[in-house]
Amino acid sequence: MQLTRQQEDMFEGKKGPGARRAMEILVAYGDVYDAKRMIPVSSVHMAGNFPVLMDEGIQWLEDLAGEGTRVKVFTTKNPEMYDFEEADELNIPMAYQVRQNRIHDALKSLGVTLTYSCHHYLVGNVPRFGDHIAWASSGSQVFANSVIGARSNRDGDHAALAAAITGAIPEWGLHLDENRKGEFIIDAGRLDLENYGSADYKALGWHLGKAVGTKIPVFVNLPHDMVIEEIKGLLYTLTVTGATGLVHLVGITPEAMTVEAAFAGNPPPLPEITPSQEDVNRAYLDISSSSEEKVDMVIFGCPQCSIQEVREIADLLGDRKIHPDTQLWICTSAWVKTLCKRMDFLDSLRASGARVVADVGAADGPHLYLREQGVRVVAINSARGSYYAHNLFGMETWFGSTKECVESAVSGKWEGRK
Amino acid sequence: MKIKAKTVVPGITEGEAIVSRTAISFTGGMDPDTGIIREPGHELEGQSVAGKILVFPGGKGSTTGSWQFYAAFKRGAAPKGIINVKAEGVVAISAIITGTPMVHELEQDPLKVIQTGDFIRIDADKGFVEIEKG
Repeated sequence: MQLTRQQEDMFEGKKGPGARRAMEILVAYGDVYDAKRMIPVSSVHMAGNFPVLMDEGIQWLEDLAGEGTRVKVFTTKNPEMYDFEEADELNIPMAYQVRQNRIHDALKSLGVTLTYSCHHYLVGNVPRFGDHIAWASSGSQVFANSVIGARSNRDGDHAALAAAITGAIPEWGLHLDENRKGEFIIDAGRLDLENYGSADYKALGWHLGKAVGTKIPVFVNLPHDMVIEEIKGLLYTLTVTGATGLVHLVGITPEAMTVEAAFAGNPPPLPEITPSQEDVNRAYLDISSSSEEKVDMVIFGCPQCSIQEVREIADLLGDRKIHPDTQLWICTSAWVKTLCKRMDFLDSLRASGARVVADVGAADGPHLYLREQGVRVVAINSARGSYYAHNLFGMETWFGSTKECVESAVSGKWEGRK
Repeated sequence: MKIKAKTVVPGITEGEAIVSRTAISFTGGMDPDTGIIREPGHELEGQSVAGKILVFPGGKGSTTGSWQFYAAFKRGAAPKGIINVKAEGVVAISAIITGTPMVHELEQDPLKVIQTGDFIRIDADKGFVEIEKG
């Protein structure tokens, strides 16, 4: 691989041990994919939190930070385990507080912007069309490629952090035009899309993920006025049952305003997949793992809730109280929580018995201690959240619409499809 | 039998093969304390990959897998060599940060010529794999 003078200096250790280690990782990574050179990145996002880092990962970050290493590129960070402002109120065990604080201090020393958000593109990390970026976190990576038209591979945290430190990433995969062409058509035309909400798009994504795998699908006949939550619902779920990095939504994806553009000239004559409503209905049932009626907890925010989603939950709840044996959590970023305070959602939700929790997502960190606190059955409006809560943390899950989840919080039992 | 392969991470290692025909996710799919595959329904579910030569098509699932592999490595529960059909980013990075010898793009399909229990030698410095039938 061709390195610039500056990159060679880093590789040889002239810019410090951290930059050397970062460049070693990237050169080895680029060689695997026959990358010819490194290209500058404009934005980086890191995914891992304590449940995946574990003590060894924290030590790795601390070693890197201890060498005086700093990131050169604007870098944001995914959610952690608990709301920094509410550690005591949430009864967070000291062992977890110590871990989260160590991660916090190491990242701060590295110069990472401590957003603790998986909707980092709503809180300031917004690349432009055509930008080369390194976003770990499979959901936001496919969002960047498919909605913004920025270019990121499925890099993972170590490559993303190395890119942040060196300012560059090997040029391969989705960074190159020739690897961004659509591979087959998915026709959504048989579905009753006029009556679709976010949950329906998630169930659709769940059904299609396995068939999509790592390929680049081209969706036709989707409504062009899909709201961002619906687009996220479809894309984020496709990367749970599959591992695609780019999805062309014709009429929405900047590189796919037409079918011809999505395929760079040669679209196939017929769709390969035409999902039916029965497929989507079946997916709804596949996503849920629970068979118990009683719901211990309703948790929103995988990915973290936008202010629009918080408003929807607050409106659906009205002045009703949630069931005394059920908790309702809305997971979001510190920025959206601040907006909630300002707009009085925080108080009205609190009066209903619901809680707005910042710095966490509904799929991972909190389940570590929620399970220890006796939460077993969780209702969630995210197929992705359901998958990780069940497979990583052993929760039993119900999946349904936001409305079904809110009703379940009020009655204390599952009110959706089963 | 000796097969040419493309190096992902240099180094030489040898040991017993454990073969999976399905992709592996290190996050959620492998217990970092024991190296036991724990994804429900996975063909290696309940079997440990610790200290073995792990042969599989490639990675899948969460991009945080390299953290879980690193923890497993530090706990002595990681495989000591990796053979992939085609390296995927998360697995490649896992091997790079731990210095685990790894090859891919073999001249013959490793899932066809290698069976669990075979004795494998990976020479990722020279770019080949040697198989002794177990």
